[in-house]
Formats: sequence, structure tokens, C-alpha cells
Amino acid sequence: MYRYDEFDAEFVHSRVAQFRDQVVRRLDGRLSEAEFRPLRLMNGLYLQLHAYMLRVAVPYGTLRSDQLRMLAHLADKYDKGYGHVTTRQNMQFNWPVLSDVPEMLTDLASVDMHAIQTSGNCIRNVTCDPYAGAAADEIEDPRPMAELIRQWSMLHPEFAFLPRKFKIAVTASSQDRAMIKGHDIGIQVLRNEAGEVGYHIIVGGGLGRTPVIGQTLRAFLPKDDLLPYLEATMRVYNRFGRRDNKYKARIKILVRETGIEDFTRLVEDEFAALDPSDIAVGAAERARIATYFASPTFETGIKPLDMESQPEAFRKWVDTNVVAHAAPGYAIVNISLKDPERAPGDVTTEQMRAVADLADAHSFGELRFTHQQNMVLAHVRQDALRAVWDGLVAADLEDANINLIGDIICCPGMDFCALATARSIPVAQAIAERFDDHDRQQAIGEMQIKISGCINACGHHHVGHIGILGLEKAGVEFYQVTLGGDATQTAAIGDKMGAGFSQEELVDGIERIVDFYVGAREHDERFLDTYRRLGTEAFKEVLYASA
Amino acid sequence: MSTLKHKGKGPQAMTANELVSGLSVWMTTDLNWSRDYADALLTEDETLIEKMDEIAKAAEQANTVVGAYFIDTVDAKPARYRERFRTHGPSYDTADLISES
Repeated sequence: MYRYDEFDAEFVHSRVAQFRDQVVRRLDGRLSEAEFRPLRLMNGLYLQLHAYMLRVAVPYGTLRSDQLRMLAHLADKYDKGYGHVTTRQNMQFNWPVLSDVPEMLTDLASVDMHAIQTSGNCIRNVTCDPYAGAAADEIEDPRPMAELIRQWSMLHPEFAFLPRKFKIAVTASSQDRAMIKGHDIGIQVLRNEAGEVGYHIIVGGGLGRTPVIGQTLRAFLPKDDLLPYLEATMRVYNRFGRRDNKYKARIKILVRETGIEDFTRLVEDEFAALDPSDIAVGAAERARIATYFASPTFETGIKPLDMESQPEAFRKWVDTNVVAHAAPGYAIVNISLKDPERAPGDVTTEQMRAVADLADAHSFGELRFTHQQNMVLAHVRQDALRAVWDGLVAADLEDANINLIGDIICCPGMDFCALATARSIPVAQAIAERFDDHDRQQAIGEMQIKISGCINACGHHHVGHIGILGLEKAGVEFYQVTLGGDATQTAAIGDKMGAGFSQEELVDGIERIVDFYVGAREHDERFLDTYRRLGTEAFKEVLYASA
Repeated sequence: MSTLKHKGKGPQAMTANELVSGLSVWMTTDLNWSRDYADALLTEDETLIEKMDEIAKAAEQANTVVGAYFIDTVDAKPARYRERFRTHGPSYDTADLISES
């Protein structure tokens, strides 16, 4: 894991001191709200529907156990005893008090954490495959590259006031677990025909009110060229991105209006005009950063557990939540934050500390937040899986529903968000409750339901196998459905079905769709495969059939 | 701010957020602020509405509240769904489960 050097630490501490002074000046009136608002947003502090909200950055979703304990400490001391894992792999606190925030940031800085660039029209937290460094199918660990981008983008003077916010995601696997085609820039580490490792650069993806699947900007970029090429791309966006209309200001609109060929030419021209030596990072520096992400020393000769002698609930959990690791004898453990009674992504301080303890005991003191609002212990010995499960059971974190219908992505919706038009949490809970039976979930198979409480799409509904968008008209919430969305390497925007439903009608309609799929699928077809084979109309008819 | 859909017709209430806590507040009949919408002053009296506006601006200047704005009300409730929602807080909060356990 990356550890701050003295420059990082000095910068973050000085930023906290600045913000402390800014809060004092706001409270005594020397700063007006108009003056203070951009300053608090630059430090991740929003004023939401009912209270302030602090969004803490978790770069590429990776954190140490002591950092998770610090998040638990913040939630206990300054908030209401829980945190919320976001779809950008960050953590939000829903109830901080303005005068406490400088202390919260001070505490965060003590463990190399901050809330910088979690808001505003800048390059936001880089998100990453949550299995990075552990996945059997990756070319190399993508986090050193993500860290390089973090260092480059942090307070970059040219890119602090972009036309709009800018999101980058990275992966090093052909199986996309970071939704790289749904980002302003997506980067995939890959090999070219000569066997060299470089980057596939995708541009112009995004969700929100205008969902777009990203397109290839460069099929193969040599490693040395990464930062100059990103700089060239950002310059083109900064120069030509629309600033006259907030809703047309994302790079996806620029790429669409310019056309990918012309946009690529603009980037390549800018890239050719740059002096790479200004910002290019060579192999030696990349290797230095990579040492922070060196694989732990994996032991050998680990015997797999005798599953036959284990309880059924444990075996089901292993089947659902545990995936293969690159190292023999190890496993990747997904910890579901999708208890049907809770908001998706919410985790209590007791649970955070339990996971931190498990990370220390069984996963080299490190863990991940996922964009699907779960957690991951990336390096667990297979013979320790039972001990991990026992710990999760004790912490009420043993839900066995990863990638199943109960594993719902959900934004905070109107329960917390100032932008929302409808609630999303109660919808997620109602669906999770309807499909609570594990065996039924398992029988349905891979299913991603994603719910957003407004068209800004923080719940990624456009790329849900079943997407749900909450809206409101004349004081009544209703929910529109999209089907066939896909967040992976076969990315697709879901098809809009039509008129919306009440919450109760919605859950019934989803159940009809799911039952129809189960009856219609051939062999091991996933929901997505059956949907693609049978087409929209077949599912639409079922969705709108009266119960 | 919810001023875009504010019609300014019918009984008006003044709302804001406390500067320090960020919590929602409404101007009361004695022209102070309350976290309870039940205490809110609802009026069509233009002179009083003008006074409420002055007091809200003064409260913002005094750094008591932020983002003060008028809302429309119907049958003593906020007209807009969003504003009705603000009066009772989240329908779900994990904090409630924690306090129950």
C-alpha cells in the first residue's frame, strides 16, 4: 500500500490547517457562505438535504486496517456510528457538524487520509478493480498506475477548474470490474502483440442524464506516455469542453459532438506538441511506486479446507462470496454490505472494527471498498476462510449474495441527497426482502440491480441488468425501469421500458421479470444473455402484465 | 435551494439550514428558528412576508443560518414533495437501527 512521503504529509496537514482557518472565518462571519462554499466543497464537505455530509477519499478503494479503524473512530466521535461506502469507493458520513470537520480532517491526516478532490470540477478519486493485486486474470497490479495518476492530478494547476467533474477508472484485467467504459477516461492495462505492457485508453463514457459508453482513444499506449497523453486529453477537454451549460459540460458530450476521430486527432496533436520530459514518468519512478504495492509474501503448501465437514451456511457463503486468487492456496473474500434491513453500503463502526481485525489477522492488514458498495479482503489463506466467516457472522456481515439479486447498488436517494427526486433506499430494501431467500437468489444467478434516486445516476441504474430510476410527480414517487444494462467489458446502456411504477408495483414487476427469465433461460444463461436473446418486447410485456 | 419551483402563491414559510449543524430549520411565529416544522410561521400577509425576508437575510448575515428561502404551503404542509420530506428527515437511517440495538 502506498504510504505518504514527507511532501504528501506536509501538503495534507497544511490543507487541514487552511480549512480549519476557513471554518473559523466562516463561523465568525469573515467568510460569507458564497465565499466558503467552494472551499468546503474542495474539502469534500457538502450541505445535503438534512445536514452536512463529509466524503472521505479512499484512493483506488484500497485502505489499511488502521485507516478503517480511523473511519470508525470518526463515525463514533463525530457522526452517528456508521459510514456509507459509495460507488466511487469512498466513504461518506451523513451527519457531521461544521465545527467538527477540521478535527475530522486532522484525524484523517494522521493515517494518510483526506477528503480532497471528492467534490468539485476536478479530477476525482481514481477508482480501480477491487481485486487488484490478487486477481488471477490481471496483467499486473493497476494500483501503482492509479497512484501515479493520483499524484499527477492532485491539485494539478491546469485542471482544478475543469468544465465539469472528471472521473477515471483503471483495471488490469480483461474482465472489467471497474466499469471503465462508464467513465470520463477508462484505462485497461494490457499487452500488445509484441508482449509489451501498456494501456488501452477509453474516453467519453459516463452515466448521469446522458449515458454514454466510452470509446477507444488509443488502443495501445506505451507506459512512458501515460501522463503526457492524459495531460493532452485533459487539455483538449479543458479548452473545448462546454462551460455554458452544466448539463453538456462532461467530456462525453464533447467527444460525441466532436466525433471520436476528430477528438482523437485533437488529442494526438496536443500530445505531439507536448515535451514529454516535462511530465513523463520513467520506469525507475514507476518501479519505486510499485514497491509500495508489492505482493505480500504468500505461503505455499496451504491445504484447502475440507468443505464437506463445514456447515451448509458456510459452504453457501464460500460459493457466493469467495473467488479465486492468483496465488495457490489463497482466496479473495467479498464482504457483502447488503443486509436487506440496511441501506446498501452502510457499515457500522462495530463492523468496521471487526473487518479491520479480520484484515490484520488474515489479509495482511489491508482491505478494499468496491464500487458495488461492498468490501474485500484480497489475500486470505484458504484454510483461514472458516475463521473469517466466523468473524463475519459475529459482526452480522455474513450475507451470501455477492453478484446476486440481493447485491443491489443504491445511491442515498432522497433520504439524504439534496439532488434526489425520489427515495432509493426503501426500494432496495423492498426488493432485497422479496428475494431474501438465499436458495432463490442462487437459483436466479448473476443479477445486478442498480437504483438511482434521480437522473444524475449515482446508483449506476443505466448499467444495471435491471436499472431503476426514482422520480417524483405531483408529490408521488414513481420508478422507471431499464433492462439489459451492463457495467463490464461488454458494457451497454439499459433499454428504457416505459411508464413508471409505484414502489409496490415495481417490486411485483421485477419479480415477474425474474420469474419469466428463470422459466425462459436456456442452460446456464445469465439474465443478460436471456434478455439479449429474447429481446426487449418479451420482457416489457411481462413487466407490464397485471399481477 | 428549491427556489426554482417556488411559486410564491398561498401561505408562505421560510426555511434554511443551521450554519453549524446543517440541520433544517423553519422560521417560527415569534420570528426565531425551529428544527420542528410544526412551529413554522405560515402566512399570506405580505407585510409579514417582507419582514420574514429581512429577518432571514439578517440571520444569514449573522451566520446563524445558511441558504434561507421561502416555500409554498398547501393545507399547512409544504407544497413540494422535497420540502415535505425535509420536515420529517430520512425515512431510513442506519443510526436508528444502531440506537435500537
